[in-house]
Amino acid sequence: MEGHDRLLAAFLAGELDPAVARRWDEHLLECEKCWRAVREDRAGRHAAALLRQPVPPGLADRVAFAVEVAAAGRHGQRDARPHTRPRWRVRLGSRLRWRLAGAGMLAVGAVVTLLVLLFPGGHQGGSVPAAVAAVARYAQAVPSPDRELPSAAVAPAEVGRPVTLTADGQRIVVRTWRLGGIEAVVAVSARPFSMPGDAQGVSGMGMAWSARLGKIGLYCVNGQTSELVAAPVPEAELAALAARLPPA
Amino acid sequence: MAGDHRAFLDATLPYLDVVYQVARHAAGNGQDAEDLVQETYLRAYAAFGSFRGGNTRAWLAAICVNASRSQARRRRLRPWDTSFMELPDTQQAAQAGGEAGRDVADVVIAALDAEAVSRCLALLPEPQRVCIVLMDVAGYTARETAEALDCPRGTVLARVHRGRRRLARLLAEAGVTHGGP
Repeated sequence: MEGHDRLLAAFLAGELDPAVARRWDEHLLECEKCWRAVREDRAGRHAAALLRQPVPPGLADRVAFAVEVAAAGRHGQRDARPHTRPRWRVRLGSRLRWRLAGAGMLAVGAVVTLLVLLFPGGHQGGSVPAAVAAVARYAQAVPSPDRELPSAAVAPAEVGRPVTLTADGQRIVVRTWRLGGIEAVVAVSARPFSMPGDAQGVSGMGMAWSARLGKIGLYCVNGQTSELVAAPVPEAELAALAARLPPA
Repeated sequence: MAGDHRAFLDATLPYLDVVYQVARHAAGNGQDAEDLVQETYLRAYAAFGSFRGGNTRAWLAAICVNASRSQARRRRLRPWDTSFMELPDTQQAAQAGGEAGRDVADVVIAALDAEAVSRCLALLPEPQRVCIVLMDVAGYTARETAEALDCPRGTVLARVHRGRRRLARLLAEAGVTHGGP
């Protein structure tokens, strides 16, 4: 029976030699049992084809975004690897090496000071944890409608459906809310969102912090479930905005 | 190397549709098909450097099936498991066509309904179910299915054939039990 089934399967898949297939054709005219097997096979195939569903809108973007975040993490790790000693390195006397190192430190210090003076208040670097960066980039990618301050009369409305991101092994569910003309992203994770280098602790809130990445303000409350709100609003408005969004 | 994820997405995103079809049926209890698709692509991206450029569709299907199995293991669930309502007795279903004196295929085709198909598909043994999903739902060829599942093509054909027949019988039984359309 096993061999018979396999032959019939091969016949139905069109994989038999023409001569053998012709014999099967003839056999099917006489054998009720095999003919029924053929019809059942056809019915099963027809039925299974009904299960095809179109890809949900936004899935391609979600996948592309997740891969982009993974790629950014990978490059970050690669960049963070210690550099191997270059082969062309010449031997320098220890005194000269210290002088050069000192000059290098001075140059770096000067550049950092210049950056701080030129861009006060903005986030210009610092270490940004991968999960926080992913949420900020997601928020940045959300097209924002005309700027309008949140008003008490406007209830938050969800835009699209929740999206799951994974950044540096941290699973994050992201939902987007429209509130008074602002698109706010609320990211929830079972793991706390680490503080970026230049984040500020929020007084009286325990493990809460706020920060700014480019035009995106971030407001985070870590707890059993951690929540990170990202929106293109000034940091001073973030706490009030977060309070008006539905709880995670 | 900065654009490697672009190359990866160019090579794999055209197959999002087939991966999604596989993920919908591979995702078990508590799993979300879209999460599984994302996990598949992240795993594929991590392994892209060692991918030797064979059949990308089959490679993605293999990753999706393996990802669903390992997620299910982590959650201590059966992969390809779904929370379906009461189902007809399989033994009874197997005899439905003959005993009712009706052609199983006629009963099935007359009463096709995606939800019932989904419920009955869940009753098939996993090897048959995987082959049916890959070939009849996602549109993989027998060769690609064999490659994805790392088994001989003859085995795939036999499994899909037995699975289809069993599915047809289960559907016939479901049609009889629930009074048809």
